Amino acid sequence: MGDIFDAQLFGTAIRQATPLILAALGGLMSERVGVVNIGLEGKILMGAFAAALGALLTGSPWVGLACAILAGLALALIHAVATQELHADHIVSGVAINLLALGLSTYLFRQIIVPREEAGGSSVVTMFGTVGLGGLAEWPVLNVLLKDQSWLTLFAVALPFVLLVLLTRTRWGLRVYAVGNDSLKARTMGVPVKRLRYLGVLWSGVFASMAGAFLVLAATGQFRENMSAGRGFIALAALIFGRWHPLGAAGAAFGFGFFEALQMRLQGQPLFGVQLPTDLLLMLPYLLTVVALMGLLGKMRPPSDLGN
Amino acid sequence: MLTTRMVPALLGALMVLAALTLLIAAAGKPLGESFQIILQGATGYPRTDTFGPVDAWDAVLHDMTLLLLTGLSVAVALQAGLFNIGAAGQLLVGALAAAWAGTLSGVPERLHLPFALFVGALAGALWAFVPVWLKVRRGAHEVISTIMFNYIALYLTHWLVTEYLKDPTGDAPQTAVIAEAAKLPLLSQDFLSASWGLGIAVLAVLGLWLTLYRTVWGYETRATGANRDAAESAGAPIARRMIEAMLLSGALAGLAGAIEVCGTQYRFFEGFPGEYGFDGIAVALLAGNHPALMPVSAWLMSALRSGAYHLHAETGAPKEIAVVVQAVLILYVAAVYLRKRRMEG
Repeated sequence: MGDIFDAQLFGTAIRQATPLILAALGGLMSERVGVVNIGLEGKILMGAFAAALGALLTGSPWVGLACAILAGLALALIHAVATQELHADHIVSGVAINLLALGLSTYLFRQIIVPREEAGGSSVVTMFGTVGLGGLAEWPVLNVLLKDQSWLTLFAVALPFVLLVLLTRTRWGLRVYAVGNDSLKARTMGVPVKRLRYLGVLWSGVFASMAGAFLVLAATGQFRENMSAGRGFIALAALIFGRWHPLGAAGAAFGFGFFEALQMRLQGQPLFGVQLPTDLLLMLPYLLTVVALMGLLGKMRPPSDLGN
Repeated sequence: MLTTRMVPALLGALMVLAALTLLIAAAGKPLGESFQIILQGATGYPRTDTFGPVDAWDAVLHDMTLLLLTGLSVAVALQAGLFNIGAAGQLLVGALAAAWAGTLSGVPERLHLPFALFVGALAGALWAFVPVWLKVRRGAHEVISTIMFNYIALYLTHWLVTEYLKDPTGDAPQTAVIAEAAKLPLLSQDFLSASWGLGIAVLAVLGLWLTLYRTVWGYETRATGANRDAAESAGAPIARRMIEAMLLSGALAGLAGAIEVCGTQYRFFEGFPGEYGFDGIAVALLAGNHPALMPVSAWLMSALRSGAYHLHAETGAPKEIAVVVQAVLILYVAAVYLRKRRMEG
């Protein structure tokens, strides 16, 4: 028993959770200003590809990260223009962006990277190193969760708190609240609705593509076709499970990352004497989100102007 | 005569051509020859596959069967104002259920095929029930819940096919082959995958066309989708119509899965192709959710797929060209045809 719930499990959990937290908070930035964003998956995937390409060409993970963010911004811009200028349906645009990212990243991977390397995945890129915590490493919880992690993980852990302060304690946060809940009234009050929506969607591109960059530059070191593997949708589940609140979304993302880590650790071993099927553990985030949608865990209240 | 209504459609066709040209040129393949190859792949040119020579109509007609059904599935839900992104999950559940029903012993031979198809459709409908119930009773957005149910279906079917419904005679995570009596005959003996399921899909197109546009039920369902509040004031039972439309949507996707099992694969296996459910979204949107246009739209998507595969086989150009073009097409349709009627932006 004790050999399952050890420090290593929690370390793996926070690593698994990092891209989920980043993408969920990306989704939050967009949905809080009323723009539905089911394109997180595509932004993660495109971010991962661009990160690998940038890092392979220059040997620097920082260039990889910059490329990822640019790719995420480009996809987010498509979503913003489609929904804000052309008044396209948010869901349809999101579906198209996921498809575009899947097609384009695979196409470009086969065109640019495969001819030089083997088809399975790109060769290993220079990754971000781990960060020492100095004195903080002695603290009880931190020494387990944040020891030997990359700075992207530390960033993902800090981000929800930063966003919470920005959303509840600043003028910008109040305006975001106004736009997300009643954009018409917000406009009448002189809030630049369209600019806030653009910014929200673009920030979602930044954070979601950082999740993709993390997969390549801090987790696996290489790009593989369709490597986002549904993380964008788990992040969406975390956002809803966490009720569009930065701490709630990040907490749910950590919980879902923990299930993944537990599943990897158990590998078919019994837990508390019960044999848990791997598929059941993998299914858990989605099941829990459905339970939350049923209202069994209290009332759900999405931003009231979502999708308009 | 060029009418204003035709301009967006022509522009769309031009965009598809432009995207194809760009992707082929960027892949460094000769343009004229590539377009010729795509056309061959899309219109039934015989080619050699890993299994030997294949009639390309086989691939096009096989894909068309599934895309007609998943396209109808997405369309009937959208007509009622519901976005069913869950056709992929409903297809998987329907396929596994049909594979289970197809291996049951003791079913009268003459009834085995209809029984398996019915069980598949029923499973798909059941899988669509919780999302629409959540929508009607709790106001939960059906897009979110159907996405969740897609993943639950993925893991649930995987669990069942590895643990409980596995073919006991082998190690592979797949069900046993279904009974001979439960198989749908192929359209031609030269074909490997296109079955008489296409006939069922065409019947579904006609049936849904009549139901949606020639019955009170269809009128009320479309009214619910067009304006829920107005439909309710006019006395339409909107919650019932939404639930029924979604159950029908799930049944159609489940039927697609059942036809893939009974007509082509003859079993359910790990990694069963559920993505046809996702492609149904593009088919439905392109057809403007109208059953009458579904054959054109399903043929276009199948031809695009088959053409891109053919190009891949002949020249080595990435077959994902089809996926990119499909994405461009959806974005275009979303921007031109699916704009929301609102004053403010």
